[in-house]
Amino acid sequence: MGDDILSYNGGVALAMKGKECIAIACDKRYGVQNRTIATNFTKIFQYSDHCFVSFCGLATDVQTVSERLKFRTNLYELREQRKLKPNVLYNMLTNLLYERRFGPYFVFALVVGLDPKTGETFIYDSDNIGAVSDNVNLATVGTASEYIFGLGELFFKPNMNADELFEATSQALLNGVDRDSASGWGAVVYVIEKDKITVRELKGRQD
Amino acid sequence: MDVLNPMTYDAEEDQLRDRTKYSQMDKHIIPVEFQQQPVSTGTTIVAVEYDGGVIIGADTRTSAGTFVMNRFTDKLTPLTDQIFCLRSGSAADTQAIAQVVTYQLDFLSAEMNEPPLVRIAANCVRRMIYQYRDDFLAGMIVAGWDKKLGGQVYSCPLGGLLVRQPVTLGGSGSTYIWGYLDNNYRPNMTKDECYDFVLKGITLAITRDGSSGGCARIAIINKDGVERIDVLGNDLPKVFDL
Repeated sequence: MGDDILSYNGGVALAMKGKECIAIACDKRYGVQNRTIATNFTKIFQYSDHCFVSFCGLATDVQTVSERLKFRTNLYELREQRKLKPNVLYNMLTNLLYERRFGPYFVFALVVGLDPKTGETFIYDSDNIGAVSDNVNLATVGTASEYIFGLGELFFKPNMNADELFEATSQALLNGVDRDSASGWGAVVYVIEKDKITVRELKGRQD
Repeated sequence: MDVLNPMTYDAEEDQLRDRTKYSQMDKHIIPVEFQQQPVSTGTTIVAVEYDGGVIIGADTRTSAGTFVMNRFTDKLTPLTDQIFCLRSGSAADTQAIAQVVTYQLDFLSAEMNEPPLVRIAANCVRRMIYQYRDDFLAGMIVAGWDKKLGGQVYSCPLGGLLVRQPVTLGGSGSTYIWGYLDNNYRPNMTKDECYDFVLKGITLAITRDGSSGGCARIAIINKDGVERIDVLGNDLPKVFDL
């Protein structure tokens, strides 16, 4: 696998927009270069009722950045006495990452969220030093991101309902990771709607 | 430097070989994301003798770095009608060796007017690997059936060794199943027991090794010829769900 630090542990995540719903999915592999060690390492973390972040890259940084972000969001909620909005969470994350501009964390991030009152959807992605993106329809991060992007663009339609969105997201992820030896071994998909969040675990190829 | 037990692999020499191998300019001109990793059949290959023949098996993944170039490769390459080789290591190197040895054996069988012996095929492979040992990255297993000694399995690993073994493994995925072999292999197993052993071993290695994956291709070689079986992904035996 070479000595590329972002593919040392492997892993991938994908987010797609629907009509007043969002899907975010990630694989479950935890490995060290060639060797797969566990298949229960999910990379999606919840920061608020309808805000989720996924980190892909070096596993130690996935854990550290998610925990450090949680620390900051907890303090925010205590001080402000209100729940986080997705764009606020995104700003906090990119700020956290840019603080380490010259000794960065090795994680790429996906921030997704939904406003339960208006149904407005947000998907943002970030590189490992906190570059901001627009609010996009489709975003992927991780070692298999290029393969999943292609499939995602193919399956994406504007204004999908929750079921169509789930199908499109899972098919893009499951088939994309077949072309990457550092991701796969199962997947988990979160479909976030205004009134509920559905979590589904997918079996997939165990190779 | 131990003369009686020489090192079969020298890490420093390997790095030196790497540095001189590809164009040095590539590293400076091409951004790291576009630098291509060499294509390798990072792999799992298994071969076992049984009374009357051999059973050989391999996974079906060819990768270049982390990219899976082929999900359904055929790593069971025929050298003659009843002798196969299993390839692991650099895809280009092993394909070249197999091509050259196939020609050599074809010529030999025309000269001798009978099919070549498995040991001769294995020696041809071994000779090529040994001659170009500083350049090739090829670990091969040659297995087949001949009239003289029946089913035989010969292992031809990296440096150019030739050794006959009743059962042998190869490739990056083999490291995960040596323990399985030690625990589950017994001499004089029946054909079906050997088949299950090979299939289970490949499945276990596919589950753990990132460079092995896809399906399992198995071949049974005996006096009647070659029977090829492809076991697709969902038909692989169930192993512990990690």
